[in-house]
Amino acid sequence: MAEPRVLDRQAKDQLYLHRDFHGALCYAIRYLDERFGAQAVSEYLTRVGETVFASLSDRIQRQGLEPLAEHIQHVMEQENGRFQISRENDKLVVVVHECPAISHLRRTGQLYTERFCETTVWVNQAICRRAGYSSSCTYLPGQGRCVQKFWREKAP
Amino acid sequence: MISCTEFIPAYSELFGYLHDRGGREEVVRFWEHLSDAFLGNLHDLAANRGLAGCFEYWSRTLSEEAADFRMTLDEDAGLFRIEMRRCPSMARLLESETIAPYPDYCRHCDVLYRRVLEPLGYEYDIDLSRCHQARCVLTVKRPDGPKETENPENKVQRVRTDKPKPRGAT
Repeated sequence: MAEPRVLDRQAKDQLYLHRDFHGALCYAIRYLDERFGAQAVSEYLTRVGETVFASLSDRIQRQGLEPLAEHIQHVMEQENGRFQISRENDKLVVVVHECPAISHLRRTGQLYTERFCETTVWVNQAICRRAGYSSSCTYLPGQGRCVQKFWREKAP
Repeated sequence: MISCTEFIPAYSELFGYLHDRGGREEVVRFWEHLSDAFLGNLHDLAANRGLAGCFEYWSRTLSEEAADFRMTLDEDAGLFRIEMRRCPSMARLLESETIAPYPDYCRHCDVLYRRVLEPLGYEYDIDLSRCHQARCVLTVKRPDGPKETENPENKVQRVRTDKPKPRGAT
């Protein structure tokens, strides 16, 4: 008789970094697109920006763009992305040379939908709008590269 | 980009969004879709390697998710079991100050995995009675495994949903 095989792990002994979650999000985006249309994707991602990232919005509102720069830097470093962050006058500019999410999807042969980068577009917009800022994100689908810009809304 | 470390609250919000659009039925429909489309790796491991494939699949995913768990594979008894002491996903949702977890969040683990494993002939159960403490017990049994009473580790409260449709069904 074989002894049972046991694996016993504690959370503190491990690094929380499950990149396959990018794949699940990719399927979610495609599912919403196909079942409900493009507006559902933007509605859902706006909701994510407004709820999941509410505390980031609050920090941006209070402290300006620095918390956002720190957040993006942390995420990109954590996932081994290639990127640059700079300032152009009053704008925060993020140039992503290699998106770690898309790299992972490609490397592991998972689904990649060209609409995946809309996650960045809509979540950034929702975070910024709530804080009184604006954003843009230009990308070519499938390239794993984009340019994100952030700036304060001018008072009307 | 939504970081993979920020995915879980976004996942929970997705369930909430789908629920708002079409009720629980719409959420379950997505879970079934995700199971069919995304869990091919679990399907192949379980189909090719049996319960050892389940052990391999969850060894990697739960380690990457920094779960607090005890996983047991007893080939002689035909039993694979995960005792989740602290589910990293539910724990994060419970600790969140900005979002409330989707009320039936943990049910996705029932629907997704049952839908893969039962068509392969396994008996799948998950005890979600303590999921709001981020704890659960997942059990997969080979059909030729022992009866429930023969294994004291398997005394779990059964929580089941409706029988899943076959893979690929709409």
